[in-house]
Amino acid sequence: MEEARVGVFLSDGGGYLSTILDLNAIKSYVEKLSNVVQVEMRSDFSWGEDLQIIIDAVKSGKINRVVATHNLLSLGDVKIVQAIEKAGLNPYLVTVLNLKDYCAWPHQDKPDEATEKAKAILLAAVERSKLLEPIKRLEFPTLKSVLIIGAGIAGIQAAMSLSELGYEVHLIEREPFIGGLAARAGRFFPTDDCALCIQSPCSDVKTITDTSRKCVYRSGFSEIPNLNILTNSRVLSVQGVPGKYTVGIEKRPRYIDEDKCIRCNLCTEICPVEVPDEYNVNLKTRKAVYINIPYSYPPVYVIDEDACKFHECEKCVDVCPTNAIFLDQKPEKISLNVGSIIVATGFEIYDSAAIKEYHYDDYPDVITNLELARMIDAFGPTEGAIIKPSNKQPAKKIVFIQCVGSRDQRHKKYCSSICCMISLKHAIQIKEAFRNMDITICYIDIRTTGREHEEYYERARALGIKFVKGRPTEVTHDPESNKLTVDVEDALLRRLLQLQADLVVLAPAMVAARGSEELASMLGLELDDDGFFKEYNAKLRPTETKMKGIFICGGATFPKDAPTSSIQAHSAALKASKFLSEGKIVKDQVTAVIDEEYCGDCEFCPVTCPFGAITLEPITEGHFVAKVSDLLCEGCGICVGTCPLHAIELRHYRSDQMRAEMQALLSLNEKSKPLIFVFACKECGGTADDAVAMAMKQYGSNMRVMKVPCTGIVRVEQILEAFKMGAQRVVISGCKSDGCHYETGVQIVEKRVELARQILKEMGIEPGRLLLFKSVFIEGLGILKVAKGAIKWLEKIGPLQLAEDA
Amino acid sequence: MEFSEKITNRIGGETLTSCYQCGTCVSSCPIARITSEFNPREVIKLAQLGVREEVITGDAIWLCTSCYNCNERCPQKVEIAEVIYAMRNMAFEASNKPAIYAEFASAFKEQGRVVPVSQFVEKKRADYGLPPLQPTGVEALQKILAALSFGKTSSKEGEDK
Repeated sequence: MEEARVGVFLSDGGGYLSTILDLNAIKSYVEKLSNVVQVEMRSDFSWGEDLQIIIDAVKSGKINRVVATHNLLSLGDVKIVQAIEKAGLNPYLVTVLNLKDYCAWPHQDKPDEATEKAKAILLAAVERSKLLEPIKRLEFPTLKSVLIIGAGIAGIQAAMSLSELGYEVHLIEREPFIGGLAARAGRFFPTDDCALCIQSPCSDVKTITDTSRKCVYRSGFSEIPNLNILTNSRVLSVQGVPGKYTVGIEKRPRYIDEDKCIRCNLCTEICPVEVPDEYNVNLKTRKAVYINIPYSYPPVYVIDEDACKFHECEKCVDVCPTNAIFLDQKPEKISLNVGSIIVATGFEIYDSAAIKEYHYDDYPDVITNLELARMIDAFGPTEGAIIKPSNKQPAKKIVFIQCVGSRDQRHKKYCSSICCMISLKHAIQIKEAFRNMDITICYIDIRTTGREHEEYYERARALGIKFVKGRPTEVTHDPESNKLTVDVEDALLRRLLQLQADLVVLAPAMVAARGSEELASMLGLELDDDGFFKEYNAKLRPTETKMKGIFICGGATFPKDAPTSSIQAHSAALKASKFLSEGKIVKDQVTAVIDEEYCGDCEFCPVTCPFGAITLEPITEGHFVAKVSDLLCEGCGICVGTCPLHAIELRHYRSDQMRAEMQALLSLNEKSKPLIFVFACKECGGTADDAVAMAMKQYGSNMRVMKVPCTGIVRVEQILEAFKMGAQRVVISGCKSDGCHYETGVQIVEKRVELARQILKEMGIEPGRLLLFKSVFIEGLGILKVAKGAIKWLEKIGPLQLAEDA
Repeated sequence: MEFSEKITNRIGGETLTSCYQCGTCVSSCPIARITSEFNPREVIKLAQLGVREEVITGDAIWLCTSCYNCNERCPQKVEIAEVIYAMRNMAFEASNKPAIYAEFASAFKEQGRVVPVSQFVEKKRADYGLPPLQPTGVEALQKILAALSFGKTSSKEGEDK
C-alpha cells in the first residue's frame, strides 16, 4: 500500500479556540509527527476557501489521508467528508474531529490540560489515519416485486399501495377467502361502514364499468394486472437475501376453477354432506362445497377436503353448468422471486375456554364478540337476529364481559386495545335494532382512546346501555330456566350484583396469529414475549424489522383497529417501495471480514450476529469457516468482540487501528491525571460527551474517549490493554440494555465486563476500575458524575501497579 | 416509610400494589356475599392509599376466612388473603386484635393446638371412629416459640404506634 501522507487541518473558529487552547504549540507538535506532510490552521475547514485548501491538497496528490477539525456539534463533518470524496479521496481515509466541544470547552478552566489532550486527540487521529484503508462501495441488485403474507385489512391495503406504485405484488392468504378477521367483523368503528371494503386503484380506471371505489366484490382489484392474489396458500420456505428472495409457496386446491365459477349455488344445493359451519359460530351448517358469507372474496366456491366424498359422490361435478369443478386438482408448489416481503399476518382471538370460570366451552349461550358479530351481520347465520344458541330463541338480556384473558397476569398481561370499542359498537348496533334489548357491559376500565371513539361510549349511554364497573368472577347456568347468571361487584355502588342473562358475550384477548413462530424462523425475525412480531423500533421504525427488506404491518405486531392497520400498511408499502425503487441497494463495505486461516468451526459468530449475516461454509471435509454477507452485515462489530480466535475484523475498525488510537490517547498525560479511558459507542451511549458539551459543563481532561461503532466490539483483551497502556480506570459507555442500536451489543458487553472484572480480580487489580455506563442522550450528563466519582475513588485507592510481566 | 410500602415489605404483602380494582375478589368472596362489612377490594384500596388507621383498627381484615377464592380468581395475581395476613400481623403488633386471637395464641402456646380439645371433641371423634388425639409434644414447641419470641410479639405494643 502507498505510504500515508497525512494532512492536518485545524479550524480555530476565527481565533476563538486560541482563547483556550495553545493552538500554535499544537500545530508545531503535529508538524513533527511522522507521515504528516501538511498542517494548516484556518477559521473553519467545513466550507469555502478553507475547505478548498484541503480539496486542492487532495487533488494535487500531496496528501492521501485527511485529519480535519471543525467546531460544530452538528454534522459539520459530513460537508468536509463529502467534499473530499468528490475531490477523489475515499471517504474512509478522512477523519474529522471536534476539538472545541470535546476538548476546549469542557476543560476551559484548565487550558494547559486541554492543550495536552488536544495533542493526544490529534496524535490518535494521525496514528489511526496511517492504518486506514479505503472502503469499497458495493451494489446489490433488487427485484421490483413484493410478497405480502396475509390478506386481511393490512395486507390488502399494502397490496393496493404497492400495485399502484407499479410493483409486482403477490398477496397470499392461507384461508380460501381474503379479508381475515376483518371480514368476520361485519362493521367497523369509527366509520360504521362495511368491514370488507377496500380502496382499489381500479376505481380510477374508468374503462372498467360498474366499479366501486370501495366494495370489494366490484372494486375490480382482482383485475389489477400486477397484483397476484393467492388464496388457500402458505409459505413453505424463504431463501435468498434482501432484494432477491426465492419463496416457496404451497397452494392447496380449491377444486373449483376461479375463472369458470359463476356462483350459481347449484353445487351447494346438491351437495349431500353437511358439516357445522364454524365460521358462522356453528349456528348453522354448511355443505362440503361452500362459500363463507355471500360477499366473501374471491366470489368462488371452495370444497372442504376433510368433508367432501370426492369421487364417491361427484354430484356437484355433474350439476355444474360451466364445468368449473375439478376433483382431481392437486396441491401446487409455486416458487416466487421477490425483492421484499411484508408480513401482515394479523392477530386472532384467545381461546376463551382457558378462562374456566366463564364456561365458554360448557354453556352454548356464552359466546365471543366474534361470534356475536356473525349474528349481527344480516348476511350471517341468523340474518341479524340475536338468539340464544342453546335453543335458537331470541335473546332479551345480554351481558358483555370485557378483558377476558386481557390485562390478566395468568393469561395475557397486555390490554388488547380494541375490545372496548368492539363491545360498544356491537351493543349500539343491537340496541339500535332492538330497542327493548337489555344490555349491560361489565368493564374494568372503558378505553376509548382514538379519534371519535368516545362518541361510541356517549351513544351507548344515550341508548340506555348499562355499565357495571367490575370484572365478574363467574358465569353460572341454571338448567331449569336455561338462564345465565353473572356474578359481579359494581365497585361504584360497592354492591354485589347477580345479572341475569340470556346471552353472555365475552371480549377475549387478541393474540398473535397461529403459525407466527414458524414464519418468524423462516424469515429470521424475532417474536416478543407475547408472541407478536418484533418491529425494528416501535417509535421510529414501526413497520421495519431488523431484517433489511422485510417489513411488517397491522396486527402482526400487536392488536390494532382497522384505521391503525391501514396506516401501517401504507407505511410498510412506502418502506418496501423505498427499498426497491432504485433496483439496487448501494452500501459501503463497512462490514466484518473473516480470516479463514484462523477461523475454526466454533459457531460463536453466526449465533451472536443480530442480523443473521454470518453463515458457516464448508471448506474441507468436516471443516467449516464463517462467511460474512456484505449485504446483511450492519458493521456493528459484535462478532469481532465475540470471536475467541481473533479471526474477525471490522474493515473500518480493525484491531491495529484501534490499538494505535488507544495508545496515542493514553500517551500524553503529564498534566492530566489520573487517566480514565472510555470506549464509547457511536449511538445513544456515546452521546454523553455531546450532552456535556451542549450543556457547557466541564470535566477533567484526564478522560480520554475512543468512539467505536457499538460497545459490542470491545474485547476483554482490549480492556486489559487499556490498563496496560496507562489507564487508571476504563469506562464502557453504551446504550441502555433494551436500546442497543444493534439489538444485543450492550447486553453482550455487559457479560464481557463481568468476565474482565473477574480477570482483574485474579490479577490483583480492583475490579471497580472497570465500569459500564449506560445512557441515552438526555441522561448523558451522568457521565460527569462518573468522571468526578472516578477521580475521588482513584485518589483513595491509589495508582494502578502492574507487574512487569502483566 | 409509607404504609403501603410497609405492607409490601412484609412476607405475603408483596403483591399489594398490583391491584387495579376490578372487583373480581369481591364477587368471589363468600363473606362479602353475607355482609357489606367486608369488601376485599376496598381493604386493598385503603391500604394502597395509606389509610392506615381504618385498616389496622377496623374489623374488616379479621372477617376474611382465608378461603383463597380471591387469590384464585385475581387477574393481577394479587395474593389478597396473604396481604390481609400481613395487615393482620401489623394490627397485632399494634395491639389491635380481636380477643379470640389472644385465646388462640395462648391455647397454641400452652397446648400446642389453636382450637382447645374439649370432651365434646373427643366424644365426636370416638363417634366417627377416629383415634383419640395424641399429645402434641408441646414442650418442644414451647422451646421453639420462646426462641422466636412468640409470647413477646403477641403481647407487646406495636412498633407502628
